[in-house]
This record gives sequence, C-alpha cells and structure tokens, in this order.
Amino acid sequence: MSKFLVRRILLGLLTLFLVSVVVFAATQALPGNAAIAILGRNATPARVAALTRQLHLNESALSQYTHWLGNILHGNLGISAATQQAVTKYIGGRLANSAFLVLVSALVAVPLSIALGVFMAVRRDKPTDHVLSVGTLGLAAVPEFVIGIALILLLATNASHVLPAVSLIPPGEHAWNVPKVVILPAATLILAVTPYISRIMRASMVEVLESDYVTMARLKGLPNRTVIWRHAVPNAIVPAIQVSALQLAWMAGGVVMVEFVFSYPGIGTALIDAVGNRDIPVVQALALIIAAVYVVVNLGADVITVLVTPRLRTAAR
Amino acid sequence: MSTSAVTSEALAATAPPEMRQRQWRVLARATMSQWRSRIGLVIVVVMVLIAIFGPLLAPHPPTAFVSAPNSPAGQNGLLFGSDGIGRDVWSRFLYGGRTVLGMAVASTIIGVGLGLIIGLAAAYFKGWIDEVLMRISDVFMAFPQIVLALLLVAAFGPSVPLIILIVGISHAPRVARVIRGAAVQITERDFVKAAEAVGEPRRRIIFGELLPNVTSPLLVECGLRLTFSIGLIAGLNFIGAGLQPPIADWGVMISENRLAVTVQPWGVVLPVLAIALLTIGTNLLTDGFARAAIGLDRGE
Amino acid sequence: MTDSNFFSEDAERALTRRQVLRGAMTGGAMLSAGALIAACGGSSNGGNTAATSAPAGSGASTGTPKAGGVISVGATGGGAKDTIDAHLPTADTDIMRCWNLYEPIAVRPPSFGPLEMMVAESLEAEKGKADSWVVTVRHGIEFHNGKTVTPEDVIFSLQRILDPKNPKVGAASIGYIDIKNVKKISSNQVRIPLKFANAGFPDDIGQYFNAIVPVGYNPAKPVGTGAFMYESFTPGQQSVFKKFPNYWQSGKPYLDQLTIIDFTDDTARVNALLGGQVQAIDNLPTGQIAQVQGTSSLKVLISQTGEWQPFTMRVDQAPFNDVRVRQAFRLIVDRPQMVEQVLSGQGRIANDMYSPYDPAYASSLPQRKQDIEQAKSLLKQAGHSNLTVTLTTAPVFQGVVQAAEVFAQQASAAGVNVKLSKVDTGTFYGPNYLKWPFAQDFWATREYLPQVAQGSLPNSPFNETHWAFSGTQDAAEFTKLINEARGTVDQTKRNDLLRQAMTLEYNNGGYIIPYFSNQIDAYSAKLTGFVEAKSGFPLGNYWFKNVGFKA
Repeated sequence: MSKFLVRRILLGLLTLFLVSVVVFAATQALPGNAAIAILGRNATPARVAALTRQLHLNESALSQYTHWLGNILHGNLGISAATQQAVTKYIGGRLANSAFLVLVSALVAVPLSIALGVFMAVRRDKPTDHVLSVGTLGLAAVPEFVIGIALILLLATNASHVLPAVSLIPPGEHAWNVPKVVILPAATLILAVTPYISRIMRASMVEVLESDYVTMARLKGLPNRTVIWRHAVPNAIVPAIQVSALQLAWMAGGVVMVEFVFSYPGIGTALIDAVGNRDIPVVQALALIIAAVYVVVNLGADVITVLVTPRLRTAAR
Repeated sequence: MSTSAVTSEALAATAPPEMRQRQWRVLARATMSQWRSRIGLVIVVVMVLIAIFGPLLAPHPPTAFVSAPNSPAGQNGLLFGSDGIGRDVWSRFLYGGRTVLGMAVASTIIGVGLGLIIGLAAAYFKGWIDEVLMRISDVFMAFPQIVLALLLVAAFGPSVPLIILIVGISHAPRVARVIRGAAVQITERDFVKAAEAVGEPRRRIIFGELLPNVTSPLLVECGLRLTFSIGLIAGLNFIGAGLQPPIADWGVMISENRLAVTVQPWGVVLPVLAIALLTIGTNLLTDGFARAAIGLDRGE
Repeated sequence: MTDSNFFSEDAERALTRRQVLRGAMTGGAMLSAGALIAACGGSSNGGNTAATSAPAGSGASTGTPKAGGVISVGATGGGAKDTIDAHLPTADTDIMRCWNLYEPIAVRPPSFGPLEMMVAESLEAEKGKADSWVVTVRHGIEFHNGKTVTPEDVIFSLQRILDPKNPKVGAASIGYIDIKNVKKISSNQVRIPLKFANAGFPDDIGQYFNAIVPVGYNPAKPVGTGAFMYESFTPGQQSVFKKFPNYWQSGKPYLDQLTIIDFTDDTARVNALLGGQVQAIDNLPTGQIAQVQGTSSLKVLISQTGEWQPFTMRVDQAPFNDVRVRQAFRLIVDRPQMVEQVLSGQGRIANDMYSPYDPAYASSLPQRKQDIEQAKSLLKQAGHSNLTVTLTTAPVFQGVVQAAEVFAQQASAAGVNVKLSKVDTGTFYGPNYLKWPFAQDFWATREYLPQVAQGSLPNSPFNETHWAFSGTQDAAEFTKLINEARGTVDQTKRNDLLRQAMTLEYNNGGYIIPYFSNQIDAYSAKLTGFVEAKSGFPLGNYWFKNVGFKA
C-alpha cells in the first residue's frame, strides 16, 4: 500500500512538472509580452523597452523558467507581471471564491445525486425511473456553458429577473457574503455533475438491491426504509463516491468556462485575464493549481477505492 | 466534459466475440428496440439534417444585412429578427450547424483513431511499452485542457485545424484506456495465440485479429467522444477560440448575441437549443447502442 | 458590443478603450505666434463636418446641483493592470480616476472649446516667441495634503513624465521640452524652454495625463489638486474618492463621495444602472439605448464626437502600394450602411479625413459614396480583378470587429475577398503592431496638426499607413506642406496649406475613415451636471466636479 502511494505521488509530481514545462513553453509562443500588453496602444518603443527592463522580461526563457521553478520549490509563486503584486496575494481572494463555488456545488450535488440515484433504483423500470434515467442521460451530454446560458435565459433576463445574470462581488468581499451571486454558477455546476453521480448510484444500487443479503433482510421483515438506507445504500455508495471525486476534479477545470459565462471573480476569469495580459507567472500558477487539484483528488479517490475494496487492498502491493 | 466512459468501460470488460454480419443486424435491432435510442436517433437525424440542408432553406445569406441591428422577431419579415449588425438570425442559425458538426466529427476521428492505435499497441505489446503509454495518458488526462487551449489559441491565433487537433488529442488518452481494457483480454484468447504461433506479422494480428473484436466498445467511444466534441467545440467557438468572423456558427452566435440577450433573445435561444438537442441526441443513441451490445454479450 | 468572448472586450477591451487619448500633440502651431494664451489657447471648433445631418446629441442635464450626496459610477473595463498613477493612465477606468484626482496646467473642456486653465493661472509664450513658455501657478491652489502648489512641483512633474529611464504616457506629447533648462523664475512662475518653437505647446501640455503632482509624489498615496481625493483603490474592482473641501473652484465639487466601479462586462454595467447599484455608466451599448430611454428614472447622454476608427492600409505593401487599390477600397465602403449596421445609427458618415472640428477641415471635397463599378474598374486597371486580402482586426474599441465584418461583406460586392483575421489585443499590439498590411485603429477627437504629428509624418510614433515614408511624391509634398503650415503664423494662410495637405491625404493616403462615432453614456435622472462631450471623453470629461443631485 505505501509503495503504491509513493509511486502515485511521484507520478503526480512528475505530472505537475510536465504541466509546468508545457504551459511555460506555450506561453513563450505567445506574441508580445506583458510590457506590450500593459502598454497596449501606447506601446512606443521607448516605453516598451523601459517596462520590459523593469519587469525583467529581457531575460532568456530558460533563465526565466529556472528562476520560476526555484521560487516554486521554496513555495513562492512569484510576482504577477501585470499587477506587480505577489501572485499569491493577487489570486488568493479569487481562489477562495472559486473554491467556495466548487464546494457549494459539491455539497449540494453529491447528496442530491445519491438521493436521486437511490430513488431511481428503488423505482426501477417504473415510468419515473425511465423519465429520470433518460433525463439525466440527456443532461449529462449538454455542455456546461449551454446550461449556464439556458439558466440565464430562464432566470435572469426580462422574462423573470429573479437572479443576477452576472456575479458581481465587491472588492474585499468574499463570495460567501454575497450568496445571491453564487446561485446560478453553482446551479450550473450542479446540473453538470449530478447526472453522472446519480446514474452511477442508480446502477450500483440496482445491483445491491438484487443481492442475497438485501433479499434476506427483506425476508426478515425489516421495514423497506431500513433495508434501503441501512443495508443497501452503504454497500452501493462506493462507486458513487469515486465518481464524485472524479467530478470534483473535473470541476477544477470546468469552473473556468462557468466563471466566464457569469463573470464570476474566481480563478477562471483571472486565468483569462492573465492570458490576455501575458502575465506568465499568474498563468503558470493557475495551471498548476488546476492540475494539482486534479491529481490530488484522483489520488484520493484511488486511495479510498483501495481502502474500501478488500481484494484490491491486498493486490496493491 | 465529465468522464463518462463508465458504460464503455463496463462494455470493454465484457467485449463481445468476433462480430459477424448477422450479429450487426441483431445489434442494430436491439439498439432500436429501446425507446431512448429511438428518441436519440430522431433528434440526431433532425439536427444533422438541419446542419446539412439548413443552408438550402435559409431565406437570406448568412452575412447579408437585411435589417436594422437587433430588430425583434417578426419585424421586416424576419422570423427570429436580426442580430447585432442586422443579419438574419434564422438564416445564420440554419447555416450555423455545419461547422460545429464538421469540426466535432473531424476531432472525433482523430481522437478515437489515435486512442485506438495507442490502446491496441499497449494491449498487444504489454510490458514497458504498455506502462509508458498508459503513464503518458495519465499525464495528459491531468492536464488542464482549457488552459492549454487558451494559450495555444492566443499563441497561434484562432484556427480550425488547431482546435480540431486540441480536442482530438484531448480525447485520445481516454479512448486508449478503454480500448486497451477491451483488447487485453482478447490477446489472451486462443485465436490470437494461434496467429502468433503461425508467425503472422504483428500488424496483421493487431489490425486483423484484435481490432475486429473491439468494434463495439470502439463504436461506443465514437458516440461518446462525438458528444463531448460537440460540446467542447461549441464551447471553444463560444469563447472565440475557434472560428473567424463573420462565419455563422452556433457557438459563435451565442457569444455574438449574448450581450443583447435582453433585447434580442433568439440569437442565443436557437443555437443553445440546437447544441443541447444535438448532444442529448448523440448521447441517448450511444447509450442505447452500448446497452444493446452489453445485453447481447450477456446473452439476454 | 455584441462581440464578447475570451479574446475580446470582456477580457481585454479594458486595456485599450481610450488609450487613444495618449494625445501627443507634437508640433502643432495653432496660434498666432507670440499670442498670449492665458485661458484661450487652441483654436475654436468651427469647421463643417462632411457629415450627414444626424440628430444633434442629446441628454445633457441642466440645473444647478445641490451639495452633498454619494454616487457610484460604472466604468468600462478595468482589470489587474489598473493604475492610479497620475502619469500612466491606460484604460477607461484609469482615465476616469485621473480626471477626478489630478489636474494638468490646462485642459480642453468637454465642448472641445479653448483650453481651460487648471493648475496654472496662465501659460504664456515668453517675449512673444513660441520657443519658451512661462507657467504662472494659480494663486493659493492646494494639493489634497494641504500643501500649496509651487513651481518646484511643476518642475518635478515634468521631470517625472520625461524620465528617460521610465518615460510616462505624456512623454510622447511633450518630449521636445528642454527639460534640463526648465527653471523656477519667481515664487509662482516656471520657465519651460522648448527644443524648437511651437505655438501648439499649450495643447500638447494641456492633457489630462500631464497632471501636476507634488514633489516626492508616491502613487501608493496619490495626491493631486483634483476635485476629489483618494480614499481607496482596488485594481480591477473599485476606487473610492471623497470630496476635496479646499478645491480651488469654490462650491465644487457637489458630491461628498465618488465610487468608481470596474465592469468588464457590458451587460453587468447596464444591469447595475437599471438595478440602481450605480448612478451613471460610460459607454452604453447601442443595443440598450432604447431600453434605458424607456426607463423614466434614467437618462441617456449622446454626444457627437470627432472620434474615428479607420481602416489602415499599408501604402508600402502590395496590393496597397498601388493608389488605385486604395481608391477602390475607399469606394467599396457603403458609409450610411456602416453607420446603420455597426453603430445602430449612432454616428455620422465621414469622408476619409479626420479632425472634423478643425477650422481647416476640407469640407468642400466631395463626399465619397459607394461606387462598386468604379471600384471594380480601378482594381481591374491595377491588375487585381480577383483580389484576396487579409484584414487584421481585434476588439480594441467598440464596433471595430463589427466594422470589419461589414467591410468584408461590402467588399464581396466588388469581387474582393476580405479574409478577417481576428486576433486578441495582446497579439494586435504585439511585434506586428504598426506593421499589419491591412488593419484597424481608433483615434480621439483632435485638431488636424496634432493628429498628423501622431500618425502621418515620417517621425510619427503611430504611423500605421507608412504613407509618409513610402517615398512617393505626394507623401513628400504632404510633409513639406505640414512643415510649412507649422511655421505659418497667419491662420488663413495656414488653413489653406492644411487643406492642400488634407486633399493629398484624401486622394493618396492609406486611411479609410467611414464614420465619426457618437459617445453614449447613461445616468440617473436624479443627477444633474452632465454635458455632451465632443472631446469624446465619456460623461462630459468624467468631470464629476460638475455633477450633483438635483436641487
């Protein structure tokens, strides 16, 4: 088990390293640099030269990268080229906003999907199951930006102006203090992930409900409710947890598009801003954070799977 | 898109034996006996017909100025009004499906093709080749796709081949995993051993013996990847990464008309509906097929 | 405005919306030499435009405001690069902050009328010669920190702008100051010698970005002489300013507090106004004019301006090195259609010439109209019957990408295939900036000579058509005429020379100028004091010192 963990962690670190190399290489291909982006139309040669020196952009790509890598190893994300603030300070608040959005979505989506999955399994092959089953199947395929725009059309335009179409959060304020602006982006993420978790839960639950011990429990005369929630659900929930973890990992990247749709001040909009500004330290930091979430959550899901599946626990060397 | 290789992975675990002509017919019948498949097929056929033949029905050219900007539906004889610079929303909608569909199909072919080759190679050669290929796939899967897409598009400018490539390559690792899972079992079968024993060339074994036996997971993958491609491509066109103006495209239309949505909703509503329906349709159809294939294999 | 995606307004317009006003007005000679230019610099804004008779601007508010009150204003754009530095404004939000915190020696008012004296009481050519100027600091004028403005502050500000190691925005416009010899000559006067005589100096220094700041100015604790003083500033989000009680214009400002909120999203800005979170916004999208006008609690402020968004053809590159191709392209444009489709009618057609308010504006030249047959025939003569060109466009200004789409469509009628290459602004201003063969740009209201200095002379910093150094005879003649005009004292004679120059550029230059766009803003009907701005600065030069709640 520990060997397995070490191997996975090393692989995860290698992945992050490769991500940083590829992202840095891609940033080098961007036309222009932060100095030009900051000056925009005022980019007279004299001012570009002065600012390029000031921002240390005249160093070679390799020395910029090794400099950056050295800083990272000391836990320092560097200085944002556009704002001249520490990257940590610049993205800190936005990271908190994004984390809050993802967390709220997960906290709603996971129990909701599990309940939905159980409900469908219990009602197997009844009309409600068929409708929900096909409904979630269809929803699973719809791109998240389409869901977001559809929600705006339904809930935030002239037709029914109940929620803000754009998530404005005053400076210094955190998303959790302005809950109204979180509702639509969170609803979008919830609608995007619920189909997957609930369908897995349904499948797993159907299998468990067919098993001998559930039949036994029923024969013993236990109330249906007890059979389902005490006996069946705990045995059926593992795959759902695994898929939930995968969905959480997906949300780290998917949040970019959703934040864009709602102009939500999180890491997604910061990333878009940073690419436009050629603010390479910020792009690097955000790419790394998104990849790290993916790696860590996947690792966590695998560890949980190994822990709860006895057969794998012994097989995992 | 989320990872929903669930059905195809389950399917891969029970890959069917060699497929014959008759079985295809049975499979098709089994697929169509489910009403989800039928709904899916109807939606897909309608949307594809709109995408392909829509331009023939369009009352105006997609780039012609036919009215004042943002005129409401019904004015000047325009069914759904005009967009922000006075082009016919309905005509642009009818023209707008070809690009999404074409790009999605192209990137699916690239992604599934690449994944198929990697997956078969990993399954057949095993050992370190398998290990290396699968670890590379893991790295790719952890890669923040959207970050890379944003950077590459900013670096090389919006271009159709670039987008097709990015989307295609992002599919490959997932397809490779599924195909590898299905093919690994086949490599243990007698007919593969026999072929190896008589010294058939490797390429013949891989493509002649393995490939025909992974066709149903492969088809399921095609369906799934097509669904995700449509979503991704539309999304990239929506964020302005794919196509150049003034082309009419559903994703582009959403972004063009998004800010005027309070004044002129149709420019957003029509393409949003179209993309949603198209993805729902392909997913329903794929799921129906996957179920039929599993059912056949179980002997139901 | 309808064009919004990762690579456009939302993300990037912030950086460039109004950089146009970087405004180097180098070498203008608009006044009789030796004239006293206290409070009356610059020429009057006469000059007929060749425009159609679009309805005059509307929506200015009247009535004296009452003192007191707090407002929030929604500003376009803003982002990580926001600055509060007096000398580095780039985006709209920066410019809005500058107009309210700081003041230059003098500046043009919203009407684009003569220069108004601000920090200075007067700005005079010394001994009637335009190569040395004397600034007299306004008596008793104070900075926000209570310090009285002195000649040392003026000298410090000029040195800061012209710092060779870190030149500021204004360096491009007043770079010809002989900075080493700028001297204090009395307790309230500074002498500013120039490297060459220039009667247009007042207009060059009279720019909002050439503000006077105190010695030792620190942008982290910004201090100026403006009507509002700094309270807080968060880049990309908001700035809070409060009333400067000792402002030199007595009675102003009326408001107690001003909050500027950044909005990268057009919809969000309009929604904030409709929802009452802000009381005024700049740059109302044309699509939303009707909606705001239909709300009785709100008013729309429409200003006709001299702002222009040209197509730029590089005269030294094929196919545009053939003047017939340039002429054909100018005949391809259906200008009324362009105003209608791109601006929803919010603009006036133009005639491929800029500076419509300049008295020298050549309004007698015939208005160009779409003439596809003539265009085709010119292209055929030039051997370009089946021409394909790439037009590089970017969302650098509202309507620019849409104008490119409309042009491409109009060109197809003449058998010209215009392929659009839409890039992000970072790329547009990247290594190929000022080198694109066929691209677009945007410019503010400006008189003819200062504008020529910006983009049409061989040493112009933003020469995008390359006409001036194309080596053609007409370009050489143009440069000669401009130099002659700069040294010509007599206004009638000078205007005559300028008209000749304009005619040359009209016939041979590399610009296609389809229209002058209107500036459209909106505000709460409870407020008063907003005026139309020919200057093109939204909300009447962002002068919130004139704004207050209705009495």
